Amino acid sequence: MSSATPSPVPSSAHGHHKRHSILPAVSQSGPKPPVQFSSSCTIADSALLTGPHTIIVSTESVIHPRARLESLGGRVTVGRRCIVHERACLGAADLQGRYHKGSPDKEGRSMGAVTLGDYVTVEVGAQVESGGTVIGEGTTVGIGTRVGAGAVVGKHCTLTANSTVAAGEVIPDYTVIYSNGLRRIDRRGVSELKNKAQARQIDVLRRMIPSNPGKFQ
Amino acid sequence: MFGNNRLPAFHPGLTQSRIRDTTTGSGLWFPGLRSPPLPSESDPANDQLPLPITPEDLYDTPMAPFNPYTYIRCPCSELNPYTKRTPDVTAQGLSRAAQDDDDHTFDPRAARSNYSLYPLEYLSFCEDCHQIRCPRCVAEEIVCYYCPNCLFEVPSSNIRSEGSRCTRSCFQCPICIGPLAVNHVETPPDPNQLLSPDHASSSHSGSYVLSCSYCNWSSTEIGIKFDKPNSIHMQLAKLRNGGETRLTAKERKERRKEQASQGGGGGSSTGQGEEDLDTLLDMETQFANLKSFYQNQLSDANGTGKVGGDPSAALGNLGFDAPASLSRIMSLYTGSSSLHDKKSKSRPGTMREALAPSEGLQLASLDESSAITALQDFESTTGLDAYSSTASTTQLQSQAPYLGASPLHGLTRFTSSLRPIPYLLRTKRSKRCPQCRHIISKPESKVTTTRFRIRLIAGNYIPTITIKQLIIPGLTPPPMPNLPPDTIEPLKPAQFVLTFKNPIFESVRVTLATPATTPGRFPAKVTILCPQFEIDSNTDVWEEALKDNNATSSSSQAQNLSSSTGPEGSGPGGRKRAGTLRPGTAGGASLAGEELGPEVGKVWERGRNWTSIVIEVIPASLVQTAKRDGRGPIKEDEDVLEIPMFVRIEWEAEAPEDEIMPGLSSTKGGNKDGGKEKRELAYWCVLGLGRVARTL
Repeated sequence: MSSATPSPVPSSAHGHHKRHSILPAVSQSGPKPPVQFSSSCTIADSALLTGPHTIIVSTESVIHPRARLESLGGRVTVGRRCIVHERACLGAADLQGRYHKGSPDKEGRSMGAVTLGDYVTVEVGAQVESGGTVIGEGTTVGIGTRVGAGAVVGKHCTLTANSTVAAGEVIPDYTVIYSNGLRRIDRRGVSELKNKAQARQIDVLRRMIPSNPGKFQ
Repeated sequence: MFGNNRLPAFHPGLTQSRIRDTTTGSGLWFPGLRSPPLPSESDPANDQLPLPITPEDLYDTPMAPFNPYTYIRCPCSELNPYTKRTPDVTAQGLSRAAQDDDDHTFDPRAARSNYSLYPLEYLSFCEDCHQIRCPRCVAEEIVCYYCPNCLFEVPSSNIRSEGSRCTRSCFQCPICIGPLAVNHVETPPDPNQLLSPDHASSSHSGSYVLSCSYCNWSSTEIGIKFDKPNSIHMQLAKLRNGGETRLTAKERKERRKEQASQGGGGGSSTGQGEEDLDTLLDMETQFANLKSFYQNQLSDANGTGKVGGDPSAALGNLGFDAPASLSRIMSLYTGSSSLHDKKSKSRPGTMREALAPSEGLQLASLDESSAITALQDFESTTGLDAYSSTASTTQLQSQAPYLGASPLHGLTRFTSSLRPIPYLLRTKRSKRCPQCRHIISKPESKVTTTRFRIRLIAGNYIPTITIKQLIIPGLTPPPMPNLPPDTIEPLKPAQFVLTFKNPIFESVRVTLATPATTPGRFPAKVTILCPQFEIDSNTDVWEEALKDNNATSSSSQAQNLSSSTGPEGSGPGGRKRAGTLRPGTAGGASLAGEELGPEVGKVWERGRNWTSIVIEVIPASLVQTAKRDGRGPIKEDEDVLEIPMFVRIEWEAEAPEDEIMPGLSSTKGGNKDGGKEKRELAYWCVLGLGRVARTL
């Protein structure tokens, strides 16, 4: 059936590949950023990496297709065993479209645009603005959440779906942000279990997502 | 804030602008959520002052988009509930009653109207009374009780014994009302527990917890773990916060005996001994102690009164509800109130009050320093606002009553002591007509099906009315610049198209009436251009299409083809403009007819089962009227142009066999063709056309 009907889209170089989306193809705009990939990381072919600064993806982290990593405001660092979901954006511009540069820390080293600790999950469509933004170990950034420029989110926090963290805010460890900005402390004490579950999930994802780090190097 | 807030509060969820969106943009309710104090716009003191109004300060708040609406008044508000009505009330009788009311037209802004106006979707229709019925006047009966979480039906006998909450394992999060899941916990990972010295003892105390996947609350926060993953409700009922088991009635009795034997020997009248008065009792224990104390007192009083004592007054097994103790209490009270009475059986002064916790005395703990330090500690340890550690009113209200732990004074104030909420059961209900007792709506009794066995909704019987502003490019003057969108200009005629859609299979005659000016503070002039018209029957779509095709097929096929390209193509089931229907106009003239705009006495457009007419309004100037009448500024939603309209519909229906009686032939005019019966229905409705601009 499909072979009989002439496709309006000219078939790409790989014959099997066929676009189903009517959206224009996402193009690699701007310069290709320098990257430092761990040999064990999984980065999908259609992930988007842009910007002039270095993008670091550490051991066993998974970058989903169409995830965006923008280093326009500085270095983007993804820790170990992180998961960055589809359409999530690390190093995004703020709502006014500005890419903030992180202020240097006490020793004068640059904070980079975004730093994810280990075991961080950035869920679908979440935006982590650039500008020295730090997300601590084991934190989950929920679907559609926006983390403002320069915010420092502590370890093992949960930002539930569609929540916002203001620019420059410091969130203590184990904070849960829920229900339009209410906050509480997670006292379950299951952070280690969560990390284990993350490792298991990454095991599955690595088999599901074809990795193509060579494309970005 | 901006919605037109009219409907009574029990509407479960309303359409569009009706809902007053208070705090959250998402419209969700969370018990933890606190609303910021609303600005006191409608402060009554403020309303009294005739403030000078300038157009500039009227647009400081953004306006929600306005959707035109139609609300129908249920006839139940016309009836005096105290006069008993005979069951043979017919539609005619009711409409006559409505017309008697005509001398004072229906005012949609009157305070009482709030409770009688409903969108069509909320109304039912009684087929036997031929009348509209609203949620307020129908009688409801519970079909079944069920848990909204596990969808198990609960027999009503269980409701009586176990209360109105799910007794399986269905719980809501006390923090965010999300559903809780039972999770297995592996023992080692809690570092806090490892540090605590009683780790060895806590390891055997269960390994299942309730946890919320949204806000990450877990029952470990109140120190509760479960041994089994099922029948959590029973396990939870036995556990207090912190994990201790609740005392059973037997244990409590034994404990009391122990105390009595320890403090025994001393005079029982001063039983407190060395007991600590600050001992906290849970509610159950306190009640049991008080009960036994007073029973003791009563039996003592009676025992000394009657020499030898009553052998039946053995203490524990006599409840307050037992007839013997009741009669004793009664005799006690009557005896003491009439001291001069014949027998001095009861002596005042023999009763004393409880003096110790073992007798049920609980001192009110007025020392709140512990609560204050807890607040301060929370702020210093977590870095969060201390306010967020206190339970909100809604959180406290949604707590199920638990007698096991909370002391009577100083009920829990912190979120850290809230217990999981067992799901409240829900009901499926059937509805009955209040007059003829016929069932109007009856859901399927099985919980998992959403079907209805009987459901007579008004939308299947009375025409729907939709409203659209009429803008003809050539004729309608262009709106004022910088006017907010979708607003009506004051003091200028605005035209609206009302489309009546007929749901029934008979053609319907509609008669409309409105007051010449709308009642209320800002009267608008109203003219219905075509107050009498017909709507064709709601026939089968295909039947209509085929009929239309046959009639026009041979003669005007070519014309059909050409006209179907235009927007006003009179194809199958298409629409016909009034201008084109006039006799004598043909071809090119119809185009000119369209540009003429609405005409008095003519239907605007017409289709298969719908007819639209035009209504013209000239709203008053809000600002000028408000300045002149000195009744203060324009209140919320007073700028909405609402028009009361009386609708009378007549149609001929198949007369039911059993109702054809020889004596009633006069009511059935055209009775020749197979028992047709004339029916009519009349009701008031309100058209919300739009917001009047606050200019001029």
